[in-house]
Amino acid sequence: MGWMYDLFQTYEENIDQVGKVVRTRSNREYTLLPIAHTTQNAQIEITVDEQGNFYQAKVIDKDDATTVIPCTEGSFGRAGSAVRPHPLHDKLVYVAGDFEKYGGKIKKEDSPYDDYLEKLHEWSESAFSNDRVKAIYQYVQKGTIVEDLVAVSILTLDKNNKLISKWSKEATEEYGDKPELFKVINDTQDKVFIRFNTHKPGEINNIKIWQDGKVYDSFIGFYKDKLQENDLCYVTGERKPRTVMHSSGLRRAGDKAKLISSNDTTGFTYRGRFAKGNDVTCVSYDVSQKAHNALKWLILKQGKTVDGRVFLVWGSQKTSIPSPQDDAVSFFNELGISLAKKTNESNTHEMFAEEINRAIDGYKNDLPYKSEVTIMILDAATPGRLSIMYYRHIDKEEYLNRIQNWHQTCSWLHRYRKDENKKQILFYGAPATKDIAYAAYGFKASDKVIKGTMERMLPCVVDGQKIPLDIIRSAFHRASNPVSMERWEWEKTLSITCALLNKHYEKEGYDVSLDVTNKNRDYLFGRLLAVADVLERRALSTNEGRASNALRYMNAFARHPARTWQVIQANLQPYQAKLGNQVIYYNRLIDEIASNINIDDFSNKSLSGIYLLGFYSQRHELYRSKKENQDKITQTKEEE
Amino acid sequence: MRNQVEFEVYGAYALFTDPVTKMGGEKLSYQVPTYQALKGITESLYWKPTILWIIDGVRIMNPIKMEAKGIRPIEYKGGNTLANYTYLKNVRYQVRAHFIFNPHRPDLAYDRNEHKHHNIAIRCVNAGGRRDVFLGTRECPAYVEPCEFGKGEGYYDQYGSIHLGTMVHGLNYPDETGVNMLETRLWNPVLEDGYIHFIRPDECELIRPISELTPKSFLKENVQSVEDLEKEMAKGRRT
Repeated sequence: MGWMYDLFQTYEENIDQVGKVVRTRSNREYTLLPIAHTTQNAQIEITVDEQGNFYQAKVIDKDDATTVIPCTEGSFGRAGSAVRPHPLHDKLVYVAGDFEKYGGKIKKEDSPYDDYLEKLHEWSESAFSNDRVKAIYQYVQKGTIVEDLVAVSILTLDKNNKLISKWSKEATEEYGDKPELFKVINDTQDKVFIRFNTHKPGEINNIKIWQDGKVYDSFIGFYKDKLQENDLCYVTGERKPRTVMHSSGLRRAGDKAKLISSNDTTGFTYRGRFAKGNDVTCVSYDVSQKAHNALKWLILKQGKTVDGRVFLVWGSQKTSIPSPQDDAVSFFNELGISLAKKTNESNTHEMFAEEINRAIDGYKNDLPYKSEVTIMILDAATPGRLSIMYYRHIDKEEYLNRIQNWHQTCSWLHRYRKDENKKQILFYGAPATKDIAYAAYGFKASDKVIKGTMERMLPCVVDGQKIPLDIIRSAFHRASNPVSMERWEWEKTLSITCALLNKHYEKEGYDVSLDVTNKNRDYLFGRLLAVADVLERRALSTNEGRASNALRYMNAFARHPARTWQVIQANLQPYQAKLGNQVIYYNRLIDEIASNINIDDFSNKSLSGIYLLGFYSQRHELYRSKKENQDKITQTKEEE
Repeated sequence: MRNQVEFEVYGAYALFTDPVTKMGGEKLSYQVPTYQALKGITESLYWKPTILWIIDGVRIMNPIKMEAKGIRPIEYKGGNTLANYTYLKNVRYQVRAHFIFNPHRPDLAYDRNEHKHHNIAIRCVNAGGRRDVFLGTRECPAYVEPCEFGKGEGYYDQYGSIHLGTMVHGLNYPDETGVNMLETRLWNPVLEDGYIHFIRPDECELIRPISELTPKSFLKENVQSVEDLEKEMAKGRRT
């Protein structure tokens, strides 16, 4: 299906979510908007009774300000000083008949209040009308809003009976404390946004008018009736009322970039065969509204944004789906499985493989049989236009298999993640694509590089493509140069690079646990380096945090292993002496590894990425065996 | 068949612009080529106003992949701009097409010799085309080789069907319909095991008129018939 049809379909499948305001974990609000509606932040709420009399008014708390308001094509896209009233809730200048009387300024040729009233009248008299709307119309036509709001001291007048624009120190001296309204507005008093509500005596849990499905339907019915002529919709192939105004504000409120726009008469993007933008394509109002609203909803709900680039994955029917950008921890977190507890160090790979199988199977069973997954990346090259950088629509089974494969093959043991209690956790699995980008280009790399790398990694996850060599090479060189960064950063880079290399040498099947039978030259050299590193670290007192010689020479070692090994070994001597009896174990290990290297291979030919895997596995083994040995010692002591 | 050609067309990039993303200038490719794009490719191989190419089907050989690039489109009023175009990457298609004589060109009836046109078309396919071939847009050059339609291994073999939604089928030009109107045709293609079996342009039901247009006229004075050409060539060979 086309991208727009997918979005349209998503809207239709989640129609029961329409108008529900939900909050994300980071306290962002999101709503699946009804068509012909948008959201606005309101500052004042006026309640009227059934007969259209003023009942009460209040200043709205900032947390509660988001309001779903009906809008027309014209009012949605209004900008600057053009007079295009929203149908129901709007700014003071539109809704207040006595605006000018109290010092509000309106251009001579404009009549915002009359325009507003006329439209509202049309709606309230139409066949689709709603009693609540009628009551509001009754009230608004009285033209006493400013007066009423002043009477309940929400709006403040100065001594000339004009609205005070901004609150100042002098005003405090003259009129007393700062009124509540000035705490919630950034602009002048006459720009305040008003929302209405109705009151019915005896009803306590009255649905607010901006959450009332019946009012939505009333406006949608009324508005659809007035739409432009029918035309052939390029998305559904149906003949329906068309639209030329498409939504902006997709990535966040105030975002001006549009997916569909037609402002080009000089750039010749379509001119030639076609003379007008209208000739190129046509999208029906219904489809455009639903597709854009669904996209906004999805982005707020589960989109990941890096420097304006949105990475979005959703499933049909059940929208949330494991993201290809995530690492194993986030993936399990989403399923509510605590990975940290289950990871058994000695048997990481099998445990993990089993765990991920179970998780993916869970997902597979959870999703309806015929469901599909859509992946989309959006970005804007210029402020006005949003482009689709990547679009895939695949079967969920296929998708989940790919994710499973990715997590199983591009995996290593990592210890850079922290759990909810800020405690470091050890996990086995695939790193997040963002972390891969950081590993390859450093933590100070610009957002442009990071988002570009994330985009390039995506096909590796969802299409099973090879990881681009330049990314692997860059990560490899950074991981081979520990002195260039802080300890934690290097450790993180190292384990991520190992994951990438593991994927790169997938056929060879490397694992975190040490493979003593592996006779690969690079692997053995890596092991040597690890032994040298651990030996020196053991000899150092625990509070001495400096880098070992092995790590300092790591970069040179990767390029000229035989020559550098000589230097490292020479430098080891004082530490070997310091260790005393313990040293025998390490020396024996060094001899054993070195003897495995073919004499011809003990050369200065630079090392491939495999040496990092050997390094990591050997180091892991040494640290682990020490811990086990200690455990044994304490055990025997206890037994004694 | 006496009027059929089969060929394979491939290239590093392709851009079959989704019209919804065309007018704003941030182009995004459809996932598969349109009928019109393939017709254009076939016409690049060989075309004369006498004949009308009908595309029977296409087979998608490679997995559908996308890649976005930053593009500097030319701003005719001066200045600079940047856009993101999203291309299909590494594409390969097998195409089967046949020609008919254009029924709306009775003025060219003197040039209707199926056998000769067919032989020319086959030679053109073998030569890789008369004019340069491109996949959707001019910046995506492509190469053409003769092939046997359906032969070889494709990525979507045994994949099942993928519904592609509503797509542009192509454009109706006045000299092909006999109506003085430029029209857009839409249809609902399905990718079945990698194959799209196209319906003929006159079978499309979703048609949207765009603007009035009149066909160019062709006469004996400006179009040489295949018979005359052959005679001329034979003369050249003799001398």
